[in-house]
Amino acid sequence: MGSLREAIRKALTAGEVAGVVGLILEEGHPRPHLFTKEAIDELERLVVGDVRYPLAGVLLKIHRSDPEARLGIVARGCDERAVLELDRNEQLNGEGVVIFGIACTQEQANACQCAQPYPSSHLFGERAAPVSDSERFDRLESLSKEERFQYWMDQFGKCIKCYGCRNICPMCFCPDCVLEDNDLIKTGNIPPEVPIFHLVRAFHMAERCVDCGLCEEACPAGIPLRTLYKKMRNVVTTQFGFTPGITKEGKGPLQYLGDGEFGKQEGH
Amino acid sequence: MTNSVEELEDAACIMIIGSNTTASHPIVAMHIFRAKEKGAKIIVIDPRKTHIASYADLYLAEKSGTDVAIINGLLHIIIKEGWYDKQFVEERTEGFVELKTLLEEYPPARVAEITGVPEAQLRQAAEMFAKTKQSSIVYCMGITQHTVGVDNVLSLANLSMATGHIGKWASGVNPLRGQNNVQGSTDMAAIPNVLPGYQSLADDAVVSKFEAAWGVTLPRKPGLTLMEIMGAIGTGGIKALYVMGENPAVSDPDIQHVKKALEALELLIVQDIFPTETVALAHVVLPAVSFAERDGTFVTTDRRVQRIRKAIEPIGDTRPGWQIICDVAHAMGAGGFDFASPSEIFAEIASLVPLYAGISYERIAENGIQWPCPTKDAPSTVFLHKDRFSKGLGTFKPVAYKAPAELPDEEYPFILITGRDGFHFHTGSMTRRSKSLTAQINRCYVQIHPLDAKKLKIKAGQMIRLRSRRGAIEVEARITPIVQSGSVFVPFHFAETAANVLTNPALDPVVKIPEYKICAVKLEKAT
Amino acid sequence: MINYHTVYTTCPYCGTGCGMLLEVMNGRLVGVLPCKTNSINQGKLCIKGWSAHEFVHSPERLKKPLLRKDGRLEEVEWDEALSFIASKLKAITQTHGPDSFAALSSAKCTNEENYLLQKFTRAVIGTNNIDHCARL
Ligand code: SF4
Ligand code: SF4
Ligand code: SF4
Ligand code: SF4
Repeated sequence: MGSLREAIRKALTAGEVAGVVGLILEEGHPRPHLFTKEAIDELERLVVGDVRYPLAGVLLKIHRSDPEARLGIVARGCDERAVLELDRNEQLNGEGVVIFGIACTQEQANACQCAQPYPSSHLFGERAAPVSDSERFDRLESLSKEERFQYWMDQFGKCIKCYGCRNICPMCFCPDCVLEDNDLIKTGNIPPEVPIFHLVRAFHMAERCVDCGLCEEACPAGIPLRTLYKKMRNVVTTQFGFTPGITKEGKGPLQYLGDGEFGKQEGH
Repeated sequence: MTNSVEELEDAACIMIIGSNTTASHPIVAMHIFRAKEKGAKIIVIDPRKTHIASYADLYLAEKSGTDVAIINGLLHIIIKEGWYDKQFVEERTEGFVELKTLLEEYPPARVAEITGVPEAQLRQAAEMFAKTKQSSIVYCMGITQHTVGVDNVLSLANLSMATGHIGKWASGVNPLRGQNNVQGSTDMAAIPNVLPGYQSLADDAVVSKFEAAWGVTLPRKPGLTLMEIMGAIGTGGIKALYVMGENPAVSDPDIQHVKKALEALELLIVQDIFPTETVALAHVVLPAVSFAERDGTFVTTDRRVQRIRKAIEPIGDTRPGWQIICDVAHAMGAGGFDFASPSEIFAEIASLVPLYAGISYERIAENGIQWPCPTKDAPSTVFLHKDRFSKGLGTFKPVAYKAPAELPDEEYPFILITGRDGFHFHTGSMTRRSKSLTAQINRCYVQIHPLDAKKLKIKAGQMIRLRSRRGAIEVEARITPIVQSGSVFVPFHFAETAANVLTNPALDPVVKIPEYKICAVKLEKAT
Repeated sequence: MINYHTVYTTCPYCGTGCGMLLEVMNGRLVGVLPCKTNSINQGKLCIKGWSAHEFVHSPERLKKPLLRKDGRLEEVEWDEALSFIASKLKAITQTHGPDSFAALSSAKCTNEENYLLQKFTRAVIGTNNIDHCARL
């Protein structure tokens, strides 16, 4: 913690970055914050811990309002993966972002069933062992096709259409969201049209989802969204040899369809 | 709520009655989903097959306005079968014999006839609720917005006491409050018959305490309720009305009458953040700030006093509501309104209201505290009535079933139910200015059962004129089996096609709640 | 200089009372995040909560006191609005007594505001004619 704080302090005071996105503890609740040189004392209240917020999403928001500012982020593995994907989708200039990487605890990695519970660079903390199997995933895969279909239909039927899965997702950056398009999915119903709403989102995330699990954590209906999106990631990995957030170079397979402009065009 | 929202997760059986929970209180629904995941049985009683009903283990499709009959019917079975909690009834209640006598009149066959719920389902529900160790009741406006609203609430209390499902962890009676601070505005005595903290106007010691604190002599005669105030404008002597943050020109029943009343005032002061339909009728308008521009406290449906905090500066030349009232008081030359901040006001509240005595801004900085909290070191009261009821023994109040005030007839053959849509709130003054919500839905509709639609040759999307004895509105038809044949549903958030043009101002005789949930209408094709 | 911080508050809609973080950037609300460490909602919100910031900056907000002059509501300064209210209220209650006044408070306003409005009604005007619209 001390060395992380020091590194950020140095970068801020030296003017290497204009601000660093991380978590601050206030009124007993950790929450996202932009640490700056002007309020350097706030660094004393910087925290890392179990609570996770979409820091890469916050970074993107700040970047959009001030595209010139060079920003840093206190990043876990998934935050770094999100920065990489946002860069690939031309939302951020990844090279311009300074990563203050932190490794997740083994407990967190197990809870997330995370294949890469640490960022690749600038690491603070001990690396936990990757968890490559997901038993939640395997359990569902072992069901018959009909059982699996019924399982998902029951789960989707609980949806209260809060859009929390989309709102919290660091990779949901489209200016106009297909999930609000009345022609595709009728608006104004609870639950939304099952299973279209959820499958449209799943397809949309296939080559973007960095498996952070924030969507599932935000879902009031308790739908195992992360497992659904893991499936999509797997399909993309096996079909195209591309894993969002992990594959370093090149474009996503669907980006080729839109001549690299997919992320920008799909909002129509 | 006698319990906390989170406790519902641990309930083994939850009876939801008159609450469209996933639409109106979605995060309460989350805790119910979790309870179900852990094996709890869910019973839903509602005239509409709501989202949560489709998820229930048992759904009782009652006829509108027959809740007392259903609850009495369940109690009849529970007592006949000996499933009631004998120890609880003996030790903590009185009036059981009288209840039993009344219940004789509610055998399943009769109840099935009144309510439309088959006997077998009544039995199943009675057994499920009574025999489960930790059962909880959750209810909302579907129970209270009736001429028999109080009777409905009393019946639920009877059910929970007879089965001993009250005063325990995850077990109690849990009304869901529609608006963020219903609980707090009542706690603060924004009601005509008590002083803050439910302290009696008839109690000399209480009145002297307030008189000493405020330095005035207080009026002892209870005031008028909202509906009485509306009735007393003009002839009845009300000349000046101060409306803070409300929109009675849309929210009250029979609004055509309400608008006339508001127009008859000599002085209508309206304090609000948006130019509402009521603002349009005002003589003077005081622009207030939104929740994001001021400090203060709200009380949740489970009695939790929580902070709101100022996040941005007031927009334009607006002022926080608390400051505006102080400004008006100062302009009148009154003392006792010299507050520099809401925390000072809260300190005065805590000094006068025993339920809040132990609460301060410092104590609720991190997390809210659930009242009663009588002292500075008293913990949050997670659930009420643990070892005793506030009045000692709980009294059974036998209530007989009474039919709603206005039922369908030949001329007006449909029952109209009004209520919330999941994407909007109250009169829509905030939600209809939110793009994510208007993107979902931005015009009124009427839900019509497919059989009725077929009979009347109504197609989805067609404009329908709904007419009651009080007025008419034109709205778009949605054809759906959510409503029963013979009933239609209209949400009340849309001022331009206000459901309250139609509703019946008949009141519950005790608490004066209008019967928003039932009136008779007819359907005409508008195009 | 960019500024981004969050403010911990309570949802302005239903009585569940979910904890939320208002995202503030350069003095404007730019979003809402569910508070993850609040025991009621534990990092979740419904669609109304998620969009609670959207109406705040609406161009339709009332921004100035309004006073009816010749039948029309016109913008005035606070002092004018307040002294109009004071003189009118005094005249009405002196002629017709305190019970000619009534106040409608709001289940959307804070405890502090509800407390003050009933105090004003009872202690300054001298009537118990106060109610709120919570029954609706
Ligand atoms: S997904 Fe979980 S374990 Fe993996 S990096 Fe993110 S927080 Fe850590
Ligand atoms: S896990 Fe969910 S929130 Fe995270 S990137 Fe994938 S879809 Fe978005
Ligand atoms: S977070 Fe869950 S409930 Fe909300 S829209 Fe997404 S799937 Fe539906
Ligand atoms: S987020 Fe939804 S459920 Fe929570 S308080 Fe707000 S309106 Fe109610």
